[in-house]
Amino acid sequence: MFFGFALWLGLVPPIFAYIGTTTFGWHLGVEPLFLTTSAAAAMAAAYFALLLVGFLSAGFVAHWMASTYSADASFGRSFALIALVGAPLTVGSVVHLYPHALINVIVLVPTLIWSMYLLYRGLPIVLKTDPAHGMLMASSLVAYLLVAWVTLLGITVVLWSHGIGPRVLT
Amino acid sequence: MSARIPIDVPATAPIYHDRIVTAFTAAAVLWAIIGMAAGVYVAAELVWPNLSFSLPWLSFGRLRTVHTNVVLFGFGISALIGTALYSVQRTSHTPLFAPRLAWLVFFAWQLTIVLGGWSLLAGWNGGKEYAELEWPFDIAIAVVWLSFAVVFFGTIARRKIAPIYISNWFYGALIIVIAMLHVVNNLAMPATLGKAYSLYPGAQDAIVQWWYGHNAVGFLLTGGFLGMLYYFLPKQAEQPIWSYRLSIVAFWAFVYSYIWAGPHHLHYNAIPEWVQSLAVVMSLILLAPSWATMINGVMTVANAWQKLRTDPALKFIVLALAFYGLATFEGPMMAIRSVNVMSHFTEWTIGHVHSGALGWNALITFGTFYYLVPKLAGRPLASVRLANAHFWLALAGTMLYILSMWAAGVSQSLLWLTLDEHGEVKYSFVEVMRAIAPYYLLRLLGGVLFLSGAVLMAVNLAKTFESGRTVTAHVPAVGAAPQMA
Repeated sequence: MFFGFALWLGLVPPIFAYIGTTTFGWHLGVEPLFLTTSAAAAMAAAYFALLLVGFLSAGFVAHWMASTYSADASFGRSFALIALVGAPLTVGSVVHLYPHALINVIVLVPTLIWSMYLLYRGLPIVLKTDPAHGMLMASSLVAYLLVAWVTLLGITVVLWSHGIGPRVLT
Repeated sequence: MSARIPIDVPATAPIYHDRIVTAFTAAAVLWAIIGMAAGVYVAAELVWPNLSFSLPWLSFGRLRTVHTNVVLFGFGISALIGTALYSVQRTSHTPLFAPRLAWLVFFAWQLTIVLGGWSLLAGWNGGKEYAELEWPFDIAIAVVWLSFAVVFFGTIARRKIAPIYISNWFYGALIIVIAMLHVVNNLAMPATLGKAYSLYPGAQDAIVQWWYGHNAVGFLLTGGFLGMLYYFLPKQAEQPIWSYRLSIVAFWAFVYSYIWAGPHHLHYNAIPEWVQSLAVVMSLILLAPSWATMINGVMTVANAWQKLRTDPALKFIVLALAFYGLATFEGPMMAIRSVNVMSHFTEWTIGHVHSGALGWNALITFGTFYYLVPKLAGRPLASVRLANAHFWLALAGTMLYILSMWAAGVSQSLLWLTLDEHGEVKYSFVEVMRAIAPYYLLRLLGGVLFLSGAVLMAVNLAKTFESGRTVTAHVPAVGAAPQMA
C-alpha cells in the first residue's frame, strides 16, 4: 500500500518543478534562467527517477539495518517508514512552483527538520523497536541520507563540469 | 580494555593527576564560547558589513583568524590535551609523568592563546591559513608542544600494562605529526619582532603550507579526536570496541594515506599535475580507514543501546559519528578535480569544514565532557534536560549551517561559471554576493543555535562542578592482564 502511495507522492515534486521552471524560470538570485520545454521535461523525469532511487535505496538500507537494531525487518514496514518521512518534503515541494533557490531553501529546510523529527519519533513505532534502538537506527539512516545527498551533488557537479547539462535559453 | 580487572584499591595507592584535566576542560569550554561567539560575529559581519564599525580590530580579516585560532587551538587542543592526560593515566595504570611540567603546559598554552589572539586582533599575521601566528608564538607553541610530548610519552614509558591501548596510538600520532608539521611549515627568517618571511619560495611554500593545513585537519581534527573516541566511547557504552583489530588496521592505513593528500587544496594551481593527481588518489583511498573507524564506532554503540535511555552524552557521540561519516565522504569527493573546479573558493568548502568541525569535533567533545565532568566532580550531571536541549540545538544548528552553505556554494559556482555571449564572466562580484547574502543570514542563525547550545552546556557543567573540587581517583591494582616485566 505504502509503495503505491510513495510512487504517487514521488510524482508531485517533479510536476511542480516542471510547471515552475517553464513558467517562471530558475532564479539563483540574479535573473531567471529559462530552459527549453524538452530540457525541463527531461529534468523532471530525471528528478522523478532520482526520487525513486532514493526511496528504494533508503528502504533497502532500512531493511538491511533493521536486524542490527532489533527492528521489524519486513520490506513493507521499511518502505512505509521512508514514505512517511518523505511525505512532508513532497508536500513542501509545492514551493517548486516558484523556483527561486532561496525561497525553496527557506521552505524546504524547516520541512526537512520536520521530516527528521518524524524519522526519530516514528522509527521505533513503525519498525516496532525500543526508542533507544530507534534513536541509533535513525542516526544511522540520517548518515546514509546525508551521504546519498552529497553523492548526488557530486555526480551532478561532475556532469556540469564536463559540460553535460540542460541548455539554458538566453 | 576488558583484560584489565581492578581487584582492589589500597588507600596508599598512588592517585591520578586529575586536577590538570579539570583545568584543561574548563579552559576548553571557555574557549569554545569565545571562539564560537567570534564565529557568530564574523558571520553577522557578512550579512551586515557595518558591524565592523570601520575599526581595524573588528574587521572580518582579523576576527576571522581569531575565530579559527581560538576554536582550533583554544577549544580543540585544550580538549585534546585534557582528555589525553586523563586517558593515558588510566590506560597505563600510572599517574602522570612530570606533573609539574603538565601544569606548565597548561598555563603556557593558555597564555599563548590569549597573547596570540591579541596579536591577531592587532594585525600581526603570518599569512598562512591556520598558521597565522607570527614567529615568537610559533617558537612558544613548539616548546609547549614538546613539553606535552614529554609528559605523554613519559607516562606511556612508565605504564604498568604491556599493550599500548589504541587511543594512545592516535594521541601519540597527533603529538608527533603536529610537532613535525608545525616546525617545518613555520621555518622562516625573522625580519622584526612581528614579521618573518617563509624559507620556502613560491609554489613550494604553497605545497608545504597545505601539507601542514591538510594534515592539521588529519592528525588534529581527525586523528586526535579519534583518540578521544576510542577511549571515551567504550567507557560510556561500557562495551569493548567492536573490533580492536579493525581499529589497529584503520590506524596504520589512516597514518599512511593522510600525509599525501594536502595538494588537493591546490588543484589547478602552479604545482605539478602529478602532485595533484597523487593527492586525489590518496584522498580517495582515505575513505577506507575513515569509514572503518565509523563502522567500529557505530557497532560499538549498537551493542550498548540500553545506555541511551539514561545517558544524554552517548547521543552526542552517535550523532558525531554520523557527521564524521558525512565529512569523511564529502572530503575525498571534493578532492576529485572535476568536483573541485566548482566547489573550490565557494561557500560549499566552508560548509564542508563545519560539517566536520561542528558535527564531528564539537559534538564528540561535548559528549565526552558530559561524561567526563560528572566523573571529575564525583556527582551526576546537574541537568539531563539541559543536555537534551543542547543536543537538539546542536543538530538544528549544524544542519542549518551546512544546508545554507551547500545552497550558497552551488549558486555561487553556477553564477561564477556563467559566461555571456562574448565568453566573458556574466555576473559581477557584487551581483553574486547579493545573490548569496540571504544564505549568510541562514548560516548566522545556524551559528547562533549552535552557540546557544554550547552556552547551555557551559552552565550545566559549571553547576555540576559547583564544589570546585576534583575528586581523588586512586590507581587501581591490576589483575589478570599482560603486565610489564
